[in-house]
Amino acid sequence: MSMPENEIREIEAFLFLEARLADESRYDEWEALWTEDALYWVPRRADLDPAKEVSHIYDNRQRIGTRIRQLKSGFRYSQTPASPMRRVLSNIEIAPAGADEYEAGANFMLMELAIQSTRNMNFWGGRTLYRLRRVDGGLRMVVKKILLIDADEPIANLSFLI
Amino acid sequence: MGMQRTIVYDALVHRDRVHGSLYTDPGVFSDEMDRIFHKGWSFVGHTSEVPNIGDFKRRQIGLQPVIITRNPDNEVRLLFNRCTHRGNMICAKESGNTATFVCPYHGWTFGVGGEMRGVPLQNGMGKDFDKSAMGLANVPRMRIYRGFIFASLAAEGPSFDAYLGKARKLLDRACDMSPDGEVDLSAGWLKHRFHANWKMLPENNTDGYHVNVAHASLMRAVNAFSSQAFDEDKGDNSVTRDWGGGHTELDFAARYHQTGRPFQWFGGVPAAKMPDYVARMEQAYGKDLAQQHMIEGPPHAILFPNLFLAELNISFLIPISANEVVQYYTPLLLKGAPEVNARALRQTEGAMGPGSFLLPEDACMAERNQLGLAAQSPEWLDLRRGLEREYMDEKTGLLSSAVSDEITNRSFWKEYLQLMSSFPGAAA
Ligand code: FES
Ligand SMILES: [Fe+2]
Repeated sequence: MSMPENEIREIEAFLFLEARLADESRYDEWEALWTEDALYWVPRRADLDPAKEVSHIYDNRQRIGTRIRQLKSGFRYSQTPASPMRRVLSNIEIAPAGADEYEAGANFMLMELAIQSTRNMNFWGGRTLYRLRRVDGGLRMVVKKILLIDADEPIANLSFLI
Repeated sequence: MGMQRTIVYDALVHRDRVHGSLYTDPGVFSDEMDRIFHKGWSFVGHTSEVPNIGDFKRRQIGLQPVIITRNPDNEVRLLFNRCTHRGNMICAKESGNTATFVCPYHGWTFGVGGEMRGVPLQNGMGKDFDKSAMGLANVPRMRIYRGFIFASLAAEGPSFDAYLGKARKLLDRACDMSPDGEVDLSAGWLKHRFHANWKMLPENNTDGYHVNVAHASLMRAVNAFSSQAFDEDKGDNSVTRDWGGGHTELDFAARYHQTGRPFQWFGGVPAAKMPDYVARMEQAYGKDLAQQHMIEGPPHAILFPNLFLAELNISFLIPISANEVVQYYTPLLLKGAPEVNARALRQTEGAMGPGSFLLPEDACMAERNQLGLAAQSPEWLDLRRGLEREYMDEKTGLLSSAVSDEITNRSFWKEYLQLMSSFPGAAA
């Protein structure tokens, strides 16, 4: 089933907005993108069972709130100041999922400057899987599952918004 | 080529201070790999990581690659990850299950327990070629205590019992949080890279002094922390302890006994939410002892040099270089306690690992320490805190001090100096 062009553009625009808010550490605006049944998830493996195994991040809506409060406290030293970042999304695929939801996937490459300590330029990459929902005419994010290429390798601090 | 330097450790490690070069000098790092990680005992893994015959898991002891396997006789083996022909790292996969390890270079084949199975074109190896002598090499000494695997790469040296000493009780306390008396480390490991010296991790992990400062952001974001926590002047009577042998503890039992509520170490979850666990614990240990376990919780302690019993998490480190270390974390799952384990998984994600609410600050501080230590002055790191109020605790027989005191650092360095300077060939 092919989706109307304007719907595809609308969803892409949402993904780009979400990426830019994360890149610019615009915490409140980023948090406002989520639904109440949110899941922000960075597993160690794509097929990992969260009931049996540990993930880097497995935030429900409440924990996303804690994460944002912590980032905004002024004392989250691993993100003080926030890492300068830019990411590129590509290879975007979108499919409808039920009446008012969509599934989307996008490859990403993210350059992150660890300005708080080493000033290393960290290079993150992988594929992000999204579940989006139409709410009151607009789009909201239900699931963001980030599949890092090196999720099961030693990785640097992941306290920014990925 | 320059002569090898002999580093005089007695001049660098004192009771109240240690020298900055201990964290930055590649020569020190090289001595540490040899004298602490290769010749001494360290933590390698847990038997629950290889539950079935044929299971294997790669690890590193100091700088050397090893494989933990379970052989067809259901015994755990610890093998060097090196083909006995010309040295190929024979197992490249992180973990899995197999009957054999086949070297991809010339095809030498070994059973999962390390024994040699076959050699292509064996005639060319000569008449005296003895397959039984060409198995993958065993790590010289391995000991398992309640599932925890420790090893030394030296055939001779201090015994495992002498190494572990009284700290055996810390492992007992962790395991006795399970009604079955057994823990399970099968939930996978988060791996966190620090651009810092490895010693900052054991020093930091039982450091009560940094918590209110370095982790202020979490205290502000959640209300689970009591206002007296980690502040002896406000009545936190938690205790820092020297268990001997470089093993150290931050013991919260006394703080928890102030209210006597169970599960304060577990986000204060009401006992009513884990009725089966409470019942099974009482059945296993009797009401009083079970209650004590549930009030005091699992230990927060370091087993020298690389194991961190982090309450409901297990963590260990693998040194990479003087300026780099990787820290691993997994939930301490308790056999017979599914209610606890379901929460433990989520608690580990909240507290430990590169994406958590706690460890990123520890990594950031360790990295900033490493950057600061590039400055030549002052030469020393100060370790005086609490030196004048250490006391022998009658109840435990352990040298102890207040929650924010650096007795834990001093205990670490005492053992460090012992190993680094008593080594044969080391300068007196
Ligand atoms: S190096 Fe393994 S078979 Fe030659
Ligand atoms: Fe910490």
